[in-house]
Amino acid sequence: MNAIILSALCGVVMMFSGILLKNKSAIKYVAIAALLVLIIGNLFQFYGIYTIDIDSKGLLSFDRTGLFFNTIIFVATLAYFILSGSDIERAGPDVAEYFALIFFVLCGVTILTSFNGLLMFFIGIEILSIPLYILTGSDKKNLKSNEASLKYFLMGSFSTGILLMGITLIYGATGSFGLQSTTIKSAVTGFSSAGILAPVGLVLLFISMCFKVSAAPFHFWAPDVYDGAPSVFTSFMATIVKAAGFFAFIKLFAAKSEDFGPGPAWKLILFVIIVATLFIGNITAVFQQSVKRMLAYSSIAQAGFMLFALYSTNDFTKDGILLYTAAYSFATIGIFSILTKMEDYSLDGFNGLSKSQPVLAFTNTVFFLSLSGIPLTAGFFAKYYMLASAIKGGGSLSLVIIAVLFAAVSVYYYFKVIQAMYFKEGVAATNTPITGNFKVALIVLAAIIVILGIYPTALLGFYYF
Amino acid sequence: MNNLVFLVPLFPLIGFLINGLGRKSLAKQAIGAIGSASILASFVVSIILFLQVKSSGAIIANYFNFIDVASLKIPFAFQIDQLSSLFLLIITGIGFLIHLYSTAYMTDEEAPHYARYFAYLNLFVFSMLLLVMGGNYVIMFIGWEGVGLCSYLLIGFWFKNDAYNYAAKKAFIMNRIGDLGFLLAVFWLINKLGTVTYGEVFANIGKLSHQDITIITALLFVGAMGKSAQLPLYTWLPDAMAGPTPVSALIHAATMVTAGIYMVSRSNLLYTLAPATQGFIAIIGLATALFAATIALKQNDIKKVLAYSTVSQLGYMFLGLGVGAYTGAVFHVMTHAFFKALLFLGAGSVIHAMHHEQDIRKMGGLKKYLPITNITFLLGCLAIAGVPPFSGFFSKDEILAAAYEKNPILYFLGVAGALMTTFYMFRLYAMTFLGKFRGTHEQEHHLHESPSAMTIPLTVLAILAVVGGFIGIPEVFAKDSHWLESFLAPVFAGSKALTEQKVSSHSTELMMMGVVTGLVLVTIAITWNKFSKYEATTTEETGLGKVLENKWYIDELYNAIVVNPLDALAGFFKNVIEKSGIDGIVNGVGTFINYSSRQLRLIQSGQVGAYILMMVLSMLGILLLWINDSTIVHFLHKIF
Amino acid sequence: MTWLTLLLDVQDTSAASYLPIAIQLIFAAGFVAAMIGMSALVGPKRQTKDKLETFTSGITTHGDARQPMAIKYFLVAILFVLFDVEVIFFYPYAVNFRSLGWAGFVEVLMFVGFFLIGFTYIIKKGALTWED
Repeated sequence: MNAIILSALCGVVMMFSGILLKNKSAIKYVAIAALLVLIIGNLFQFYGIYTIDIDSKGLLSFDRTGLFFNTIIFVATLAYFILSGSDIERAGPDVAEYFALIFFVLCGVTILTSFNGLLMFFIGIEILSIPLYILTGSDKKNLKSNEASLKYFLMGSFSTGILLMGITLIYGATGSFGLQSTTIKSAVTGFSSAGILAPVGLVLLFISMCFKVSAAPFHFWAPDVYDGAPSVFTSFMATIVKAAGFFAFIKLFAAKSEDFGPGPAWKLILFVIIVATLFIGNITAVFQQSVKRMLAYSSIAQAGFMLFALYSTNDFTKDGILLYTAAYSFATIGIFSILTKMEDYSLDGFNGLSKSQPVLAFTNTVFFLSLSGIPLTAGFFAKYYMLASAIKGGGSLSLVIIAVLFAAVSVYYYFKVIQAMYFKEGVAATNTPITGNFKVALIVLAAIIVILGIYPTALLGFYYF
Repeated sequence: MNNLVFLVPLFPLIGFLINGLGRKSLAKQAIGAIGSASILASFVVSIILFLQVKSSGAIIANYFNFIDVASLKIPFAFQIDQLSSLFLLIITGIGFLIHLYSTAYMTDEEAPHYARYFAYLNLFVFSMLLLVMGGNYVIMFIGWEGVGLCSYLLIGFWFKNDAYNYAAKKAFIMNRIGDLGFLLAVFWLINKLGTVTYGEVFANIGKLSHQDITIITALLFVGAMGKSAQLPLYTWLPDAMAGPTPVSALIHAATMVTAGIYMVSRSNLLYTLAPATQGFIAIIGLATALFAATIALKQNDIKKVLAYSTVSQLGYMFLGLGVGAYTGAVFHVMTHAFFKALLFLGAGSVIHAMHHEQDIRKMGGLKKYLPITNITFLLGCLAIAGVPPFSGFFSKDEILAAAYEKNPILYFLGVAGALMTTFYMFRLYAMTFLGKFRGTHEQEHHLHESPSAMTIPLTVLAILAVVGGFIGIPEVFAKDSHWLESFLAPVFAGSKALTEQKVSSHSTELMMMGVVTGLVLVTIAITWNKFSKYEATTTEETGLGKVLENKWYIDELYNAIVVNPLDALAGFFKNVIEKSGIDGIVNGVGTFINYSSRQLRLIQSGQVGAYILMMVLSMLGILLLWINDSTIVHFLHKIF
Repeated sequence: MTWLTLLLDVQDTSAASYLPIAIQLIFAAGFVAAMIGMSALVGPKRQTKDKLETFTSGITTHGDARQPMAIKYFLVAILFVLFDVEVIFFYPYAVNFRSLGWAGFVEVLMFVGFFLIGFTYIIKKGALTWED
């Protein structure tokens, strides 16, 4: 409860900070301070020190996993503020509002990690989504940004419609917004005589969540929106928001893991979606010339891996999704923060970066290695946990093999950037001077990724102890 | 006192780190001092541990879980018992002498290389210590690989010479072939027992079937063949002479090659339960002993003779292991360490004096120029020839006596080998030190005794080579005088309980000793007489002599049956399979992915209407899939 | 076709029980379609210029209705909707004023407070300044 209230309050504070403060960097520091308060507030509840207790009549319930995930998200946001704060300042005139919107998104995230029924789930999803439509269009003078915003809004509304339809069907069938295990059981075991409305509703819910996390074939909005939005907000959307979407997805569907019995229908659908997501994400990324667009597809491909958490639910899965979201978010935030500093977003724009900005090139390499899952980076263990959970789930070796093959494809396009930075001649120009603080922050982020790659239990240790 | 154990390998490691990292900045004196002092410190700790083991038995020191996967737990543990404490003394003691010797021998090197040399040397000792101290097969394997690496680094120390690099590679590859066997044996153990800790393996030995034990021991022995240079993997050892002479001494005497002996004696219980492997070891050992001895008869390079003699002596040790004389084998390792280190360092001293001339045909008469080297070298020769009461006599006699009990044929062949040993060693001695000098005047002018840093180790080793045998006086002479046997008894107790003791009468043994000693003395006399008057001739050897001189053409044989076909196969793979097959597939996959990427990109048309249409279609598809899952699954099953 | 048989299974409580409603819907839609279709078919058609003109209660039409309007109109309109919603909440509150007591009063005060903060923000941002 701490985080929900604090994040909303922080949003309000940020709104007014724009009126009271004229200095843009002062606003950034207010935002960082507010975020720190938020983190501490959340940790207070995590460690049971102090909790603002409001009776939500059973609409919300807090557990350690959710609170821990909040912490990951907030820390990732902190890294994002520190690395990309100055880029947010340059994104448009309403700096304070951007920060405020980000806090509102965080409020949505905190609801999504603690919902206890479809009603709050829906509210969380909407609180999460609506600020993003605005952020996507924040570059008002840019046609591409406007187009992306409108597309996002249209397709987002469409998926919200599907989501609502699903909720309505379930409510109609069961008379409650809760997720009864009978509902899920009938859905996962395919069509049965237990009634058609609730299972269909669940499938619709599933489809709309696939849309939110940009799983193929509901990914169409992602490349256009990620490409059109100002890079600094793409970074936020592709990492923190996406991770939260996944968490909600898994919380919704894996909550009753014991009910995910032998249902072949469910597994078949997931199989198809995972393979399609991996295929479209990875293969399409190969041909992209713009690093930004390539990253959009790569985020689709990474979603394919995260979907493994739904495919098999066991102890490994929970650890896996926590590690994966952390590894993926940190690396992508780092890459985007470097990308936004670049003059030219195309692959050629990175030529020779290792000569002009060795620190940027090196940390960028670490981030890309982590994304492709090379050992000694966090990405390796993240992928390992995901695949291991699928194997432990049993009977899905073919899926794991396919995933590994596509991971190999991903190495190809990730390494294109590394190749450009280190082995191609050119003068990679940055659009702003690189400050020492920025470099230090990058190195810290890269160090975290390497530490998690050597000692993944460092992260999970916080969770269990 | 457990806390002392880790100090033994720690000192060389520190030495390695200091010398390795500070090689650009340290002064030569400092480098030598650090290198030697670290081993000396280890030696001191080893003595303490030895005394402790002697009084209160084995120490097992567990540090942390090295590997902890599912049910498999491999601790990082050291086991210091009678066997390993003895090896610790040999390794650090002789290692120290060799370090000391090296400070003078390598003095011509520039400081960075000098430091590199000592760093490698320290790392070598460190690896060997790990090998010996490890409390399980995996830790042993780390050391096992470590010495392999260090031998590679040290043999190729003068890396500017291509031939030396080649020798280094050869040593490494031959070792790797053997290591594979070792590794497979470890896997086999893990699979069958789920543990590799010595104590647990030997305690649970009953769970292994007879076949398992035979396979494990055979695979382990393959590892030993590589490391301890047995037929057919011995060829690297003579080539390893490319390294600096003290390194040869280190490899041949104190470390590396004795690893195989150590490993087999450590696993003695397994071997005792696998008579088939034991027989195999005995045959390989004896064959190697004889084979290498015949080659040594005709070699003219001072170090090569010693190298083949090492191979031959190792053969004896394996013969001992093969006939169950574990104590004898370990005893021989020890005495061999003394006299072989002595001989190598002596040879180094000669080479040093002769300005890197190694051909004994160009030496002679060095007696008066190198008095200390001469005396110590002679003592070494007497020891290796097995003249009583020098150390080699006792240890070799013990192995041969055990062989006789097993099978007299083994004994007679062993004696033949011993006589050959005597012959080539005294040929070497006579041609080097006796007669008149056959080198150039330039060389003669510069002949001088080596500095004291080199002669002190020689003297110490000579004393050890002379008296080292008295720790194992056979029962024939005095009852219960075999100190080593009673010391090592706990290690070999399990094996001893399994074998019945067949003791030949004391009179037979004494008679055999007498005969052998007589034969040896006669051989010495003949050789001395013949080669002290050696004159350089230009006549080509013919017949068997030529074959021996060319080492039975074994290298050529290997080239013909292994290397050349492999080359041809590699060429085939490279030119045909890779170019058309693999490249084709790889490029094909790449092209396919690029193509599909280009096509898939087009789906992303940018039109919201099209997107939503596709999403709705996919939605319908998923609903259909879900409703008709059984039909589709059946359909898929029919296809695949 | 399993789903159709299931749909017709009256025993089923959730889905199939909606069948009468579905039939009614179909009937209603069919009735409307039939009526419109019949009047189009049967009714007389005399198309003159005057009849085709847009009916504007007698006033002559001029210009196009689809002209861009200043965004300010929409802003004010939307803000007015917010006010509206706020006021709507007051009706149920007024009815239950006594029974909710002080706790209810505090909650409504908070509700109004949030609104006020929002409107303060809007005014401070200058959203209501008519002239640029």
